[in-house]
Amino acid sequence: MGLIDKIKGVFIKDENRLILDDSDEEIAISVNHLTMEFKVTKDKIDTLKEYVIRTIKRNKKGKEKVRVLEDINFNVYKGDRVGILGFNGAGKSTLLKILAGIYEPTQGSITINGKVAPLLELGAGFDKNYTGKNNIYLNGAFLSMDEDFINRKYDEILEFSELGEYINYPVKNYSSGMRAKLGFSVATLVEPDILIIDEILSVGDIKFRKKSSEKIKSMMSEGVTVLLVSHSIGQIREICDKCIWIENGHLIMEGEANEICDAYVRSAKSGKK
Amino acid sequence: MFDTFSEKKFLLKQLVKRDLTSKYKDSALGILWSFFNPLLIMLVFTAIFSMLFGRSIDNFPVYFLSGRVIYDFYSAATKGAMNSIRRNGNILKKIYIPKYMFSVSAICYEFINFLISFVILFGVMLITSASFHITALFAIVPIFLLFVLIFGVGLILAVCNTYFSDIGYLYNVFLLVLMYASALFYPMEIVPSKVQIIFSLNPVYVAVSCFRECVVYGVIPNITSLAYLATFSLTTFLIGVILFSIYEKKLTLEL
Repeated sequence: MGLIDKIKGVFIKDENRLILDDSDEEIAISVNHLTMEFKVTKDKIDTLKEYVIRTIKRNKKGKEKVRVLEDINFNVYKGDRVGILGFNGAGKSTLLKILAGIYEPTQGSITINGKVAPLLELGAGFDKNYTGKNNIYLNGAFLSMDEDFINRKYDEILEFSELGEYINYPVKNYSSGMRAKLGFSVATLVEPDILIIDEILSVGDIKFRKKSSEKIKSMMSEGVTVLLVSHSIGQIREICDKCIWIENGHLIMEGEANEICDAYVRSAKSGKK
Repeated sequence: MFDTFSEKKFLLKQLVKRDLTSKYKDSALGILWSFFNPLLIMLVFTAIFSMLFGRSIDNFPVYFLSGRVIYDFYSAATKGAMNSIRRNGNILKKIYIPKYMFSVSAICYEFINFLISFVILFGVMLITSASFHITALFAIVPIFLLFVLIFGVGLILAVCNTYFSDIGYLYNVFLLVLMYASALFYPMEIVPSKVQIIFSLNPVYVAVSCFRECVVYGVIPNITSLAYLATFSLTTFLIGVILFSIYEKKLTLEL
């Protein structure tokens, strides 16, 4: 990519993530030979002094590269509901973060057709000294909504979050459940083509949990493509029609949801023994 | 994500608002400190330095303050931009947001403070019965060039400081040197003429002197200084934009 394109990509439009593939309009997400490496040093050099001294002394420890994802390939078609399975540390969240545009892959490419709504962490941008109301606007801005949109939807958010009077209190006085409810209410406001969810369906009390899963289902019924990470096999069987199983950064299986879930559960059981 | 202008504008507005409210959150006077802080500092400096240089400079408070507002804007805005990526690391690791928005918002926030300090400058000019000139309007030109310079320096520092956190400490020392090299509180005449040439290469000093000429002395600054400032600012701006574009995607991995 030329420098000019890069500058355009950063400051004007984020086109490098959205290379539209005209050849296949049905594909929502296409991941090709995706590899992600993190540089990990056991003693991280993050001061200049250390960097200079180590360079002179020549005892800079070579940075270890940890491959979190290796050569991942899959396609998600429009309207698919794909569950992503894998044990802790398998690289699921990293994959979702790459799809959400937070990390740039080391190698390979991703192609995304449509507007993405990543529900990775609820209320990530909350300012704890702000009231709930102000946080709705702040968080909305982080999720690339504009002011009119939030003004129009404000009552809907307030009602959905069940916060009532507490909306005018600072968020630092909220319980973690209340915070999650507010975050969920703002984040699900968008009308996306692709929804990326990372284990956020289990927030709040039993009442809210039911409501939130209904909300997600109503979003999905409108033909939204879904990518879901969850450790609840039941939930994946219920929501998803396809599945991807990742282990140690490799794609192990891909296919129909129940089939993959069965295989995954079997492997988990045999692993225990 | 963030394709339309209105989304970016709203994000910018929210970020600036957050900065404004979070800075003075536990103080009784709140945002009024943005006004009192420079005023009190100005009073202290004026009291001290007018004893030293007061006789050789006409209307010392205005002379000092006109330089001080420009320098303060430069130092606060570049420092804000420098820390912007690191400070918002938690958010950047969880939500996709164009990173330069944080640097831009830090600079815009300091620009608001700069405008507030203008009120103080004009207030002091009124009290000391300094004359107002129509050329003050021309001050927009050096301020704009300073703005461009700040963007460039801010973006460069934001990238460097994310990789090496001690750039921040080094830069603080550098800012101190820059303050003494900007002739804020002493007359240029006390500097040996050979050293004056070096001073005239300092873009902040050039901005300060152009601003003073417009606002305090009522003359249009000479075109060579403005051209120098413009070239320096635009070059820095270009370098900043290019550097930031190259490293933008890698910054999240350093946080």
